[in-house]
Amino acid sequence: MVSELFARFQALPESLAATPILAIGLTLGAFFAGNWLFSRIGRPNWLPPVVLSACLLSVFIALAVDYQDYQQGARWLTVLLGPATVALGIPLYQQMHHIRAMWRPIVVTLPIAATMAAVYAVVIGWALGATPEVLASLAPKSVTAPIAIGITEQLGGSVPLMMGGLLITGVVATLFVDLLARLLPVEDERILGFALGLNGHAIGTARAFEISHTAGAFASLGMGLTGVFTALILPLVFRL
Amino acid sequence: MPMLRGFLVLVLFFILGESVRLLLALPVSGGVLGMVVITFTLMVKGSVSNDLAQASQGLISVLVLLIMPGVVGVFFTADQFSGQWLAVAAALLLGTFLSVLTTLLLMRAVTTRGVGDGE
Repeated sequence: MVSELFARFQALPESLAATPILAIGLTLGAFFAGNWLFSRIGRPNWLPPVVLSACLLSVFIALAVDYQDYQQGARWLTVLLGPATVALGIPLYQQMHHIRAMWRPIVVTLPIAATMAAVYAVVIGWALGATPEVLASLAPKSVTAPIAIGITEQLGGSVPLMMGGLLITGVVATLFVDLLARLLPVEDERILGFALGLNGHAIGTARAFEISHTAGAFASLGMGLTGVFTALILPLVFRL
Repeated sequence: MPMLRGFLVLVLFFILGESVRLLLALPVSGGVLGMVVITFTLMVKGSVSNDLAQASQGLISVLVLLIMPGVVGVFFTADQFSGQWLAVAAALLLGTFLSVLTTLLLMRAVTTRGVGDGE
């Protein structure tokens, strides 16, 4: 009787993993636990909460389910990335009036800087012997996550590797903008915000909103435009 | 309800983007195409409805949740890329340093000149 119950208990994770609900529950749980932990340790800006959540989630997965089963079930969440990418167009539209105020610097800087963000990474990686798959995963490193996932899939890169690189890029871009703003120096909040959004996507944009509302608006604009520009250009260039 | 109505608009634009991608065999994701089309539609229309603004805000606020399955994969697929970590680290750190430097210098140069021209 007891041993039968125990056997059923052992089979429980496997039975539950056959439906997507376990994957969704684990992801939601890790999401909230990560956010809670993040505020408990004083919201450090070098550690985005998503890193904490992902670490917790990996522990949950290792303990409870098979990784492949998890990814199968998590498709119920990741399918929403498509509409979520479309949703980024609404704040982009709302920030558009900033382009009118500063169209010349933006039109000149955006194509060059967004291209170079990808080119530097690919050239350095290539020089040090990275494989084409790794290069395709590094190229969209400055693009906001939902758009970058689409780009990486189109280029044939590894989404997990790209996501890791993306998070590191966001954190170090934020540190480098702070550092270089003091060294160069650059004081214009609009420029700092734009640089944060262009190079450091959502993580940089979060930092820009700490500087000021103007910096945040320009960061959102830089992030959105970089995402669109890179998504349209990079696959065409990579194909050649 | 209003949020779901806005969500329907987002889904329709995504399906539109995905259809364009498949029909023209474009190497750009359907989400990005949908985003470009919805941005232009709003610019032409000149305003955004409350439903749509609410739905997009809602989805954007849970973006972290949606990307977590992708992020967590790095712990499970890391050994595929052993031997390339130096290249990856250098590309991320040095590459980001250079691109931040490029952006700041370029933007500063063009902005000061732009102001000069205007005066």
